[in-house]
Amino acid sequence: MIKLNPKLSQKFSYTLLCCAAILAIAPVILMVFIIIKNGASAISWEFLSSMPKGGMCSGGILPAILGTLSIVSCAIMVTLPVGVCAAIYLNEYAKDNMLTRIIKLAIVNLAGVPSVVYGLFGLGIFVMFLKLGVSIIAGALTLSIMELPVIITTARSSLGSVPYSFREASLSLGVSRWQTIRHVVLPNAIPGILTGAILSIARISGETAPILFTAAAFYVPHLPHSIFDQVMALPYHLYIISTQIPNMPKNIIYGTALVLLMMVLTMSCIAIFARIYFRKRRKW
Amino acid sequence: MVDKIKIENLSCYYNKKCVLESLNLNVVKNEILGVIGPANSGKTTFLRTLNRMNDFDITYSRKGDVYLDGDNIFDIGAESLRRRVGMLFAMPIPLPMSIYDNITYAPKRLGLVTKKADLDNMVESVLRDSSLWDEVKDRLGASAMKMSGGQQQRLCIARVLAINPEVILFDEPCSGLDPISTAKVEELMVELKEKYTIVLVTNNVKQASRVSDRTAFFLMGKLIEVDKTDKLFVSPKEKETEDYITGRFG
Amino acid sequence: MRKTLDFIVEKIIFICGIVSIIFVILIFSFLFKEGLSFFKDFGVLKFIGGHFWYPSSDPASFGVLPLIVGSVFVTIGACAIAVPIGVMTALFISEIVPKGIRDILKSLVELMAAIPSVVIGFIGMITLVPLVKSIFNLPTGLTAFSGSIMLAFMAIPTIVTISEDAIRSVPWQYKQGALALGATKWQTLRRIILKAAMPGIIAAVMLGIGRVIGETMAVMMITGNAAHIPHSIFEPVRTMTATIAAEMGETVRGGMHYKSLFAIGLVLFLITFLINFIADLFLGKNKNT
Repeated sequence: MIKLNPKLSQKFSYTLLCCAAILAIAPVILMVFIIIKNGASAISWEFLSSMPKGGMCSGGILPAILGTLSIVSCAIMVTLPVGVCAAIYLNEYAKDNMLTRIIKLAIVNLAGVPSVVYGLFGLGIFVMFLKLGVSIIAGALTLSIMELPVIITTARSSLGSVPYSFREASLSLGVSRWQTIRHVVLPNAIPGILTGAILSIARISGETAPILFTAAAFYVPHLPHSIFDQVMALPYHLYIISTQIPNMPKNIIYGTALVLLMMVLTMSCIAIFARIYFRKRRKW
Repeated sequence: MVDKIKIENLSCYYNKKCVLESLNLNVVKNEILGVIGPANSGKTTFLRTLNRMNDFDITYSRKGDVYLDGDNIFDIGAESLRRRVGMLFAMPIPLPMSIYDNITYAPKRLGLVTKKADLDNMVESVLRDSSLWDEVKDRLGASAMKMSGGQQQRLCIARVLAINPEVILFDEPCSGLDPISTAKVEELMVELKEKYTIVLVTNNVKQASRVSDRTAFFLMGKLIEVDKTDKLFVSPKEKETEDYITGRFG
Repeated sequence: MRKTLDFIVEKIIFICGIVSIIFVILIFSFLFKEGLSFFKDFGVLKFIGGHFWYPSSDPASFGVLPLIVGSVFVTIGACAIAVPIGVMTALFISEIVPKGIRDILKSLVELMAAIPSVVIGFIGMITLVPLVKSIFNLPTGLTAFSGSIMLAFMAIPTIVTISEDAIRSVPWQYKQGALALGATKWQTLRRIILKAAMPGIIAAVMLGIGRVIGETMAVMMITGNAAHIPHSIFEPVRTMTATIAAEMGETVRGGMHYKSLFAIGLVLFLITFLINFIADLFLGKNKNT
């Protein structure tokens, strides 16, 4: 066997690692580029603000955008308070006992359940058992359960990054535990929790499988009136027009993909920049 | 000579390991009781037991009782106890808010003072008591995190004074401070004993000799000796005490 | 008053704390209930071992084996691509590039993770699928191979992020010690850091696998959805997730077909449960060292 000069082998390996990184990241940038290049021509105010026409082959995607926004906002309104409370429990109150360990295991496994299984569960419990029907609320609840472990995990790490000494200082003044959390810990953890929430919103905006049987409809001729309505949703709409409808004009598909992609990426970027900003500004 | 705090047969454990063994001690009203001893002698555990700051540590357990003006501190509820027994930590811990809010934080949360005018008066009076007023009166809205270490520690003292406690516990309050700030804090402690009873844990023997009225010497979780400060430093009864204060160990 | 408020709030917080257990149990029992009644009618062995998935023929056959094999093919293919690239990228990001570039690359990886799977599926369908068809001269480009490539891009962010954490949490003393003994940076990286970070990297790989197995939309759009046992990865396959997603819309609620999809869901749930459990064990191990 040839024994390579260590310097040479280092150079070789570094090049290899660099290639791997390029291979991992470049295709995704290419994908985004392709969508932007082909989709930009379809984007217009009319495309964003009108109903689909002619069997969805022309017109806009307004109902799909509104549908996704309404499902996602309902979902985050449910999952954020519950998730933050759960994180507070785990980080501030829970003792290191059997119950805590089971909760942590449950969260880990909840995070790993495939999204389509959440869809099944949502269909079984919200649509059928609770008789909510295929509706915004059923889809939102399904998504909120799916996002719960993510919210809990990010909220926990934000709470954990608040120095323990702040809690001691507050408690030593006779302030109760909850008051300490409410007035000292939470205000300092809020930036991190919100950043996590925005990332979650971005992620669930693009989810299709969980809303497939719980909220999304192929085509709805009107805008949603209440949370018990079926809606069109952007990711599902993209799936439909790219696979189920033959002879769909390509630029409409690209345009829809571009709108969805931009929605998700913009929110993620906001979250990432917010995180950098708050880290820099942190006072301790 | 009235006993403010009476400690009866107190033993403390971490993970069943004894760190403080059957302690009997009293703290007299309006005195400064200095507690000295090398590291791991149980002095901080002792101090944190007095306002039950160890309650949150699940490995901690204890036997024996502590009485504050005749009330068993383990019966009166941790929060009301801590209102009567304030604490200063080794490192100054200002909360990440303005100077003004740091002081009004606890009184507001506890519902002691609510009116804006009363709060303003209280802030001024406690800042004067902690001789910080002249330094910060023009920037009460500034962040407390931006003050110097010595100022932060005096702010923490002001913060404790704002809840008007009966006893103040100092846990090595000058360990992170420069000599000038230390002198200021020590001066302050002597002034404060007019109104409050003070327990001062320190690993700086000279500090104890400068400010405390009586001094207790802890070693390996046991109280070796407690006496008037001048007596203890001039003619200690025990060999270990002498060795420690003359600097032979610790 | 203050006391009662504190008490109520703390009770609410506790309930939220145990909510995740409730959901895990609920999900499991729902899948189990529907799955069990299916097994009662059809039989577990016939389900797991059956070679044919003909849910709507008469008599219907619910052999899940082709679907399992389909999922396994796609998963192995995706891992073969994503694991080496992902781990190498993590090494590159955490140990080689300067800090400024590292933060940018990490943000990019995070953005990659946010791209919706329908979008990945759509892009794969119009770019990769025709490419695979012409390069390998296949009757169709909708194959397990195409699916594997696209899914690899979905697993890479997971693998990179978690491995990167593991690599960076290796105590710096290890590195200093090795460098002080005259090892080159690369030798240190390969022999010391990689070894110390191994549990975390394994956990990252497990979680990446979990992500691939559970992925639905992209596989449904790219892998061709043919429910037969494939002989090579250049044939169309149908995964368990895609089967549920594609067929649930057409079933009669409460019928055999409907229940059989819950049974598949149960199988998926158990597989991912196992994978996450193992990953969590490795993650815990990493923290202790």
